[in-house]
Amino acid sequence: MFMQLTLSGLAQGAIYGLIALSLTVVYRSTTVVNFGHGDFVMAGAFLSYVLVVLGGLAFLPAGALTVVAMFVLGVLFNRGLIRPILGGPHIGLALMCIAGGYVLRGIARMVWGREVLPMPPVFDMPPIFFGSLVITGDAIVIISTVLVLLLCFFGLLALTDLGKMVQAVYQSPRGARLIGLNVDRFNDVSWGVGAALGALGGILVAPVTLLHPDLGASFLIKGFAAMTLGGFGSLGGAVLGGVLLGIGEQYAGAYLDSSLIEITAYVIIVLVLFVRPQGLLGRKAVVKV
Amino acid sequence: MRKITALFAMLALTAAPAFAQDAGWETQGLTDDSITIGVMGPFSGNASSYSKAMVGMMAYYRQVNDEGGVHGRKLVAVQEDTACDSAKGLAAAKKLISQDEVFMLQGNSCSGVAVALRPVVEESGIPWIVAQAVSDSISAPLAKNIFHGVPTGSANGRAMASFVLSKPDTKNVAIIEHSNDWAHSYSDPAKEYLKEQGITPSLELTMERGQTDATAQVLQLREAKPNFIIAALYEAETAIFLKDLKKYGLGDIPVMGTAGTDLENTLKRTGDFDTVKNYFVIHSYVDNLDGPKMKKWADMIKKYYPDEELSTFSFVSIGSAEALVSALEKIGPDLTRSKLIAALEQVRDFDTGILSDPITWTPQDHQGVKGSAIAGFVDEKPAVLKAWGQPY
Repeated sequence: MFMQLTLSGLAQGAIYGLIALSLTVVYRSTTVVNFGHGDFVMAGAFLSYVLVVLGGLAFLPAGALTVVAMFVLGVLFNRGLIRPILGGPHIGLALMCIAGGYVLRGIARMVWGREVLPMPPVFDMPPIFFGSLVITGDAIVIISTVLVLLLCFFGLLALTDLGKMVQAVYQSPRGARLIGLNVDRFNDVSWGVGAALGALGGILVAPVTLLHPDLGASFLIKGFAAMTLGGFGSLGGAVLGGVLLGIGEQYAGAYLDSSLIEITAYVIIVLVLFVRPQGLLGRKAVVKV
Repeated sequence: MRKITALFAMLALTAAPAFAQDAGWETQGLTDDSITIGVMGPFSGNASSYSKAMVGMMAYYRQVNDEGGVHGRKLVAVQEDTACDSAKGLAAAKKLISQDEVFMLQGNSCSGVAVALRPVVEESGIPWIVAQAVSDSISAPLAKNIFHGVPTGSANGRAMASFVLSKPDTKNVAIIEHSNDWAHSYSDPAKEYLKEQGITPSLELTMERGQTDATAQVLQLREAKPNFIIAALYEAETAIFLKDLKKYGLGDIPVMGTAGTDLENTLKRTGDFDTVKNYFVIHSYVDNLDGPKMKKWADMIKKYYPDEELSTFSFVSIGSAEALVSALEKIGPDLTRSKLIAALEQVRDFDTGILSDPITWTPQDHQGVKGSAIAGFVDEKPAVLKAWGQPY
């Protein structure tokens, strides 16, 4: 059972990690916590559903188109709604994000009401048995997709000039401007990448769960918990936090009490903030007075 | 002495309108050719699909009216929308009782709304037949004027457990449920029934609403090896749970679900017959929805509401409407609210021809329907069952 729980936790955690990473990408570039991000995840899932079920596309091209569309939506969201108020109070930015998320949710509700929709099976490969360990198709697809994506993402950051520019903007937007980097465009791209990564989380989760307009709310909390555990603002920490949260939920549900699965994220947020506020890979904030 | 006489005379004069009002109250909402009935339901909002039950019931009123009504009186429905919201439901009830002055109430989906209405309706004293909501606390403890015309949560919970134990050699039963009142309204009576039969659930698991994965629960079930699983889960979580059961090789364990799900939609949501082939649900009717015994009711609804799309909810309130009409007929033309309450309390083993179990209301017990049939797939087709392997 231990191995099975770990495998299932890894698959769930990979999704959480992806969502936490997408939140962190936006947070690092603009210091905005996107409280509407869960609805971007939901929008990604629904858009892929529309393309697969109504558009008749195969899952892979539908997923790719969805990622591109959500990237554009993220860019437009930043340009149209966030950039104009970026210098204002953080509460305004938070409310703008919530409002944007609710608009997406409202559109989904208008079209589908509160219907619960099934995505046609796409990971429908026969499970592989190793004794009592069952390796399912969805676990293989989710874990391998996220792994490849993370390798590309972190490889790009660590090994390319683009990655160095990103690091520069993260460390000092003003300094980056002084050396001629277009920080506004960088922020647009960050919002686009954040929306696309979040949508990818939705696309991957769509075939293993059911779709409904409120789908994103629980993923947002999981994303926050993963960010907190890994260290707020740490890209690697977000992924690590997500994976640990996914595995932790499974262990708590199986070895302690199944009712703990749903509150594991909240317990982690509370514990981390008390015991190690900077999270596992975050830096301790030093405030100069 | 003269002063005392004057005082009594004054008291009599003061009390006269009150007595007159009482006499009027008994026949409020009645005319020579109509009986007004307040019909509350979620006609808007995200639970509006439940209002199909009210539409089915009103179709029955219209059929009765077309056949001449009851002792020359037509049944006139006054519709009010609760939107499945307690505050709106309270406003609707007060309007029907005080402003529209209806003779009686019949209807109500959404247990939360119906429970909230209970004090207002009980205080008003006007007859109310609850025709869809299932919570036991709507009609228990007994209120003189409130009657339950569908199986309550406890009736359904016991029916679920009874079906589970009707499978030969069932000794090991596990339960998975949400941690809300709705789920407990099924699981508590089911556990009580199991206990009466000397069985304690081997595993009691929780799956919260919104969970997208049931691996942890399924792996515990794999260790416990139950003969049967009782699942008090909403539609989405039911589909996820069944998918995960199959994924981890437990698809052969039968699962007993609640009236909150149905076979056809669960099949649609899982998209795979193998996943639902051992899934059973509470089914309050005598036949499949498209079966011959239900056809006349489906035709009736279509006749009066041609655009209405039928679902499992469309038929659930018709049975109690039949019981009402039967009671009204027995009373005769001299109708009052008190006579209606008395007549309803005389309803015994009333076979509605649509609900799987008869309606019996007594002065001591107003929860009229004590059981439910079960639906499951037999030869890959939905079938109504009385017990394991026994057609209804």
